[in-house]
Amino acid sequence: MATITTAQFKKGNFIEFRGEPHQIADFQFVNPGKGSAFVRAKLKGLKSGKVIEFTYKSGESVEELPINTREMQYLYKENDSYVFMDNFSYEQYNVPETMIESFIKYLKPNDTYQMLVYGEEAVGIRFPKKVWLKVTEADEGARGNTATGATKTVVVETGAVITVPLFIKEGDTIGIDPETGTYLERG
Amino acid sequence: MTTWRTLKSHPELWPRYFVRERVMRAIRLFFEERHFHEVEAPLLIAHPPAESYLDVFESKLLNRNRKATPVYLSTSPEVPLKKLMVAGIGNCFSLTKSFRNMETQSETHNPEFTILEWYRVGVDYTDIMRDCEELLLHISESLKRDVDMGKSPESLVYQGKQVDLRSPWERLTIAEAFKTYARVDFGEFLDVKVARRIAEGKGYRVEAQTTWEELYNQVFLNEVEPHLGHGRPTILYEFPGALGALARKKPSDQRFAERFEFYVEGLELGDCYSELTDWKEQEERFLGEIKEIKRLGKTMYDYDHDFIEALKVGLPESSGIAVGVDRLIMLFADAKTIQETLLFPADELFL
Repeated sequence: MATITTAQFKKGNFIEFRGEPHQIADFQFVNPGKGSAFVRAKLKGLKSGKVIEFTYKSGESVEELPINTREMQYLYKENDSYVFMDNFSYEQYNVPETMIESFIKYLKPNDTYQMLVYGEEAVGIRFPKKVWLKVTEADEGARGNTATGATKTVVVETGAVITVPLFIKEGDTIGIDPETGTYLERG
Repeated sequence: MTTWRTLKSHPELWPRYFVRERVMRAIRLFFEERHFHEVEAPLLIAHPPAESYLDVFESKLLNRNRKATPVYLSTSPEVPLKKLMVAGIGNCFSLTKSFRNMETQSETHNPEFTILEWYRVGVDYTDIMRDCEELLLHISESLKRDVDMGKSPESLVYQGKQVDLRSPWERLTIAEAFKTYARVDFGEFLDVKVARRIAEGKGYRVEAQTTWEELYNQVFLNEVEPHLGHGRPTILYEFPGALGALARKKPSDQRFAERFEFYVEGLELGDCYSELTDWKEQEERFLGEIKEIKRLGKTMYDYDHDFIEALKVGLPESSGIAVGVDRLIMLFADAKTIQETLLFPADELFL
């Protein structure tokens, strides 16, 4: 384990909190009236999936957890978890839904992803800069919302709804930034 | 995307930004009706009030020979208003900008922000508590008059939660709040050794350099603050003396200062004190703060000797408060972040 301070906090970092592994879901600086600076973090428990808030003293040290990245293929959904297979060892991992929440709508079976592993457990996904997905529903006749600069919404193969320029057609493959859900380019 | 571009393509967002001008108008009307003078306090100043917890913006004033004098952006209009109280202006207010450095990366701070301060002669902090109750109701009523918000002006909805603004608001002393929400005997907690033991017992990281103020705020921010201002506003009062830079000590218990803050739905909106009128104590506190600023390695400045001179002449018994106007606007615009109420938020300008 490496010791870091709140100055090195990053969204998505894994740290120990009260003896349990947590992921930093978000953090904010707070300055109480007539007080020094503090950092209020939203921490997601890797085991419980629950999000709690904790306010650290600014500059307080915390233990960062050693997380490895492994290439895995997404296989299928099973109850509340998603099953991935390590491309190298063929070992299978169940990732709880809570750990990949905002990425679920971009997950495509048989595609390979960079998975985050802590000890023996897969605890999250490293968001790629871009995901390529096929457009499965697009209204060809859409005149678009001209007030917003001529855009329309389409549905891609994984079910995600994306705002795109008017020229995108059904069957096109488009690049999407999974962090923000925005359209980047046509393939 | 910058805000003007967002507004160009989403004109339906304009009303949220117009809440600002409505709130500002309502505030001015409130004080005009009560015969307060509005003061334009300087923004470019020579001596910020010595407060070690604040970081100042520093610049240079050049004379005709390019000889430089260090100047600072005002962190609050408090000192100029108090000098005018000494001069005899009577009840007065300032609705202006203030600047505090190192306040980025927050949904409730902008380095340049709008502050409202008002001062009243011959009253103590309990009278200001009632002013706050009246002011929020007044703003709510005037917004209701401007546009039919479809709600009673006596309550508002912030982020899905209903808040009843009618007086009296909840009043809690710090000691009561610590007892209720953190199960801490605050009398004992005032002793730094006991505070360290209590904080350690609660699982906080206590290091050699951890100060009493940090222990206090860590318990406060984690265990007390989340409970404040739900359903109706909360006035939190009687602060420990160590946390009242320009506040008068409570006559009946010198360990506490006559200071209060008020909260609505977790937003800290205002900070009030019965003003310290004793120049000797004020100068001692300034010197202590300057020492602390030096220890922390922050931008150094001299304290305002002219302000000490003013206190020697005599500040009338008075009380005043600073209110974060941007946060009031967040509340009435039902905005989750301060950035959503600003047409030009700092994180668009500088990052």
